[in-house]
Amino acid sequence: MTKQAKDPFFIDFPKRIKSIQKEMAKAKIDVYLGSRLRTLSWTLDAFCPWRSFIVIPVEGLPTAFTFVIDAARIADESWLDEDHVLGFGPLGGQDQIELIINLIKGHLKKNKGRLGIESGMSNYLPEGNLTLFEYEQFKAALPGVTFVNAHTIVDKLSIIKDEGTINRFREASRIVDIGHRAVYKALINGGYKGMTETEIAGLAAYAMRKAGSEWEWSFTGGNEIASGYRTGYAAGACTPATRKKVKAGEPLMIDIHAMFNLCLGDHAHNYLISPATDRQWWHANNFVDMVKLTLKTYHAGITPSTLAQEMIDFADSRGFADYMVPGFEHGIGMMGDEWRIGVNDGPFPYWTNPDHAYQENEVLICAMQYACPEENIGFRYENPILIKKSGCEAMSKFPLRVDEIK
Amino acid sequence: MAEKLAYLSEEWRVEAEKRLKEVLPPEKMNHITSSMSNIYKNCPGGKEKYFYFNYVKGKLVDLEIGEGKPPAAEFTITGNYDIFAKVTKQEMGSQRALMTGKVKLRGNLVKALKLAAVSDRIQKVLSSIPAVY
Repeated sequence: MTKQAKDPFFIDFPKRIKSIQKEMAKAKIDVYLGSRLRTLSWTLDAFCPWRSFIVIPVEGLPTAFTFVIDAARIADESWLDEDHVLGFGPLGGQDQIELIINLIKGHLKKNKGRLGIESGMSNYLPEGNLTLFEYEQFKAALPGVTFVNAHTIVDKLSIIKDEGTINRFREASRIVDIGHRAVYKALINGGYKGMTETEIAGLAAYAMRKAGSEWEWSFTGGNEIASGYRTGYAAGACTPATRKKVKAGEPLMIDIHAMFNLCLGDHAHNYLISPATDRQWWHANNFVDMVKLTLKTYHAGITPSTLAQEMIDFADSRGFADYMVPGFEHGIGMMGDEWRIGVNDGPFPYWTNPDHAYQENEVLICAMQYACPEENIGFRYENPILIKKSGCEAMSKFPLRVDEIK
Repeated sequence: MAEKLAYLSEEWRVEAEKRLKEVLPPEKMNHITSSMSNIYKNCPGGKEKYFYFNYVKGKLVDLEIGEGKPPAAEFTITGNYDIFAKVTKQEMGSQRALMTGKVKLRGNLVKALKLAAVSDRIQKVLSSIPAVY
């Protein structure tokens, strides 16, 4: 990964660890046991697809643990050396529970102290909160230790993105735009005929990987492609590609994902396959106008609820409020941080706080879904945006419009 | 050599050192630099013993058997005497002993797995020593 300060994608990971340790000291936490994918990405600078942990003492270097088959690779890609990225496996003394307990004990005085853990709930399946079994095992082995749910330490520190992270996001979006151009080229001049959603997903993936994307990171089946009625699922915004063929007269939605150094590109573009009806264009124009207004409205200080109200009011004034799914964003961070906005401290535990005031240099995905299931039509917009003092930067530059493919 | 030596005795250690040096030259040891302490719990008589060996660039430079605290080593394997004896007699594979948790390894697992083959070579040499357990 990037280790030189002059590299535009450089992130100061030792500084991140020190910032966590500072917060640990304030909360009187002796050891932090991170287990969530987002925490691992944010602290290690390496993708951890297997169950992994990071043990952070209040001073000094952290140690990561992962399934042994992947430990050498993570040590190679992370800023930590091989003595601080350890493998675990089903061998005496080498299972994850025993290894981690031994390390934690080494960081405690007389086996007593406070251990920060990561617990909670999430809509995101690979979140990585400590499981009940893991918790019980650690608790039984560390009787003199008080367990404290401490995930907000990492969540708060990772809200505002530093320059290296922002540049990585920009690069991931640049790559996504290459994927969109490849799809557009493949669709035009009748190229769409006989093409399936899965084939389009693959075309985009190939172009993005050629451009350096690490993978189509989204857990929603990688690149999401929907055609025809599948674009307009009621209140829907999740469409893993299927073997459905693209057909004339139908809408087509291309929502593709690239990853660059753990930062994520996510942009959706929409098509109408000719012949498009006036009614389809009415829907399409509604959608594009809505996205334009939403992008204009984002700025530091605005909250999800005020933005949603303004947008729904606009949709109502134009007569298409019934077709808007009333949500306009989802959170985004380094790999694994794909859901929360702010620290998810709203009235419903672990859901977006509607009163979260966006701050300068937060990155989120502006995400909108327009769905009219009764007419088998829908559109999706997604684009990482950087919140600025008086506006936002849309990172994907692919033209904002609905294209008719003739 | 027909005489059987007492396992973990000084005579057994001398014979082990001789055979390891003869049979496993640095190239067969992949020129490794590493050390390991095997800690034998519940030895006959109830004592705890250690068996420590240290390789530098594939050459065996230390082979110690003793009681009490073992020298610091890159890897430590802890288990009961009878399990280590079974491994040395090749009645039980060292992998099986680890995989069933009969012995416990301390140290970097990735590095340990890289050394699994040379560790097996050492065990084979040790098993060739006629011994009483």
